[in-house]
Amino acid sequence: MTLDVFLFILRLLFIVLLYLFLMQVVIAITRDLRKTATASDNSTNQAPPVVGHLIVVDSGPSTILPGTRFDLSPQTTIGRGPTNSIQLVDNFISSEHTRLWFRNGLWYVQDAGSTNGTYVNSQPAREALAARFGDIIQVGFIRFKLAQ
Amino acid sequence: MQANMNSGILRRYRWKELGLLIIPFLILMLEMVQLAIAQFFQTQTTTNSQHPIPISTAILPSIRDLVPVPVFGLIVALILVNLLLSIFFPKADQLLLPLVGLMSGIGVLMALRLGPDVGDSLLGTRQLVWVILGLILCMATVFGLRNMNWLKRYKYTWALLGIFLVALTIINALRVKNLNSPTHDQLNFGPLNLQPSELLKIFIVIFFAAYLSENRDVLTEGNLRIGPLRLPPLRTLGPILLMLAISLLLFLVIRELGLALLIYGIFLSMIYLGSGKLSYVIGGLLLFIALGFIGFKLFGYVQARFAVLSLDVVNWQNWSQPTQDFARNGALQVVQGLIALANGGVLGAGFGLGHTGTFVPVAQSDMVFTALGEEFGLAGLFAIIGIYLLIIYRGFRIAIEASDEFNQLLAAGLTSIFAIQTFIIIAGNMKFLPLTGIPLPFLSYGGSSIIANFIIIGILLRISYNTAMEREGLA
Repeated sequence: MTLDVFLFILRLLFIVLLYLFLMQVVIAITRDLRKTATASDNSTNQAPPVVGHLIVVDSGPSTILPGTRFDLSPQTTIGRGPTNSIQLVDNFISSEHTRLWFRNGLWYVQDAGSTNGTYVNSQPAREALAARFGDIIQVGFIRFKLAQ
Repeated sequence: MQANMNSGILRRYRWKELGLLIIPFLILMLEMVQLAIAQFFQTQTTTNSQHPIPISTAILPSIRDLVPVPVFGLIVALILVNLLLSIFFPKADQLLLPLVGLMSGIGVLMALRLGPDVGDSLLGTRQLVWVILGLILCMATVFGLRNMNWLKRYKYTWALLGIFLVALTIINALRVKNLNSPTHDQLNFGPLNLQPSELLKIFIVIFFAAYLSENRDVLTEGNLRIGPLRLPPLRTLGPILLMLAISLLLFLVIRELGLALLIYGIFLSMIYLGSGKLSYVIGGLLLFIALGFIGFKLFGYVQARFAVLSLDVVNWQNWSQPTQDFARNGALQVVQGLIALANGGVLGAGFGLGHTGTFVPVAQSDMVFTALGEEFGLAGLFAIIGIYLLIIYRGFRIAIEASDEFNQLLAAGLTSIFAIQTFIIIAGNMKFLPLTGIPLPFLSYGGSSIIANFIIIGILLRISYNTAMEREGLA
């Protein structure tokens, strides 16, 4: 076998391997897409479960009535913007104010970079803070009680 | 307890990533062997030119002479990254590392191969060191970015830092007073040549993402009307426009058209992603055309760059004398690059058997696409563009799945860097746009670019990990 032929075979092998790799990645992607598609099918069939409530204790300067209940899904955002799961129209609430999530039986509260801050039992929640049912969560100047 | 933990790691191990790394490893080893054979072949023919010996596989060098050290170094580094990610970040995206690993591996091999031709035999070794350093920094980014809000909160700091770095470069360039040298945008720290503009693009994307995610409401409303166009209030757009103007001016001063184009492209795509309004993009494009036209009329060097595009290369036999002179001087790089591409054909000349390094100026960085084209052919180039598309797809997918606005915009913006940069430099190599000196991601030789790209990959991996962790919390 002459060297030219050998090098030509190497070259062909290289190109075949390159396209095999591309195919492998594409297969991995389609499998991934199918998995997320079925997962989202399952999740759209049932609305996100309500795993807690926020009850307004002190409405501060806002017009929200004390005693108003807000449903909490396992991932909840609070803010003035329309994309939040709880939209509070108040001048002291930032467009993205607070994030709450439920993991392993505990609630976690974290400020989403707001101007007036988020507090759990008067402690500023710049980093994620754990919260239990019964704790007081203050968003801007509105105070909520975390309830089941 | 111990056994339990081990089985946990095995169960969570990133098998998909490891499986996808196998073919890239095979490709890299194959190319290393091919390179060794090609170099052996060339030394044989030059030393025995008087008495040509019959060339066959029987005279091939023994296995001991083929020491593919660089490739093994890279393979070990990639496996280590896979292991680290499996232990600490099992849920991060599994497709990015194989794609990027293959690209940077081909980049290292190309530098190794072009090194002797461009008169720098250590080029490949240095590129390998950069890639490994890049992988380390990528890991540092994944580990270090504990809190994404940290990036968001200090957005003005990042913006100022980026501008400061580039301003330093400009002062340096003005001191040297040689704006035509190809390295005038570098900062020299002892043996290191840094290109701060590579880092600036990351800082700019962080700033845009943070600012747009905070002011999204105002931007989508758009209360300023000019004819049929609805523009956002200028006061809200102010900081972004200021940042854009500063970076564009900086690049016009140091004559980096490619970077100016890249920054403007990032600006347009992020405005579109942030507001979802096509009218902003159309307005921005019109403004760009107007500005571009003014720049074209005012600056001689812009006209010189564009003159290449009008060259009719296919009809080269009928060139007039001035055209021939132009092709030998101003347009030399592009014309030689096109000759290299044409020389490659469909299947290419074979790795290590082309001559791009000897006749295309700066083949190792700006023109690396033509070098790849000559040796891997059209088929190889399609595969490489395919890999870029998959990287970009993956980046946008991470962006779509990310949990909040800032992360979405950040991932999408960083991915647009790859997309726009690849487009600009490939189009420049193929005489479709004026050639500019920005590197092809992962393939061009150059430390700053490699490191900046790996930091971007690190941020993307971290965002995908955060998203997956929040999903877990939901389940």
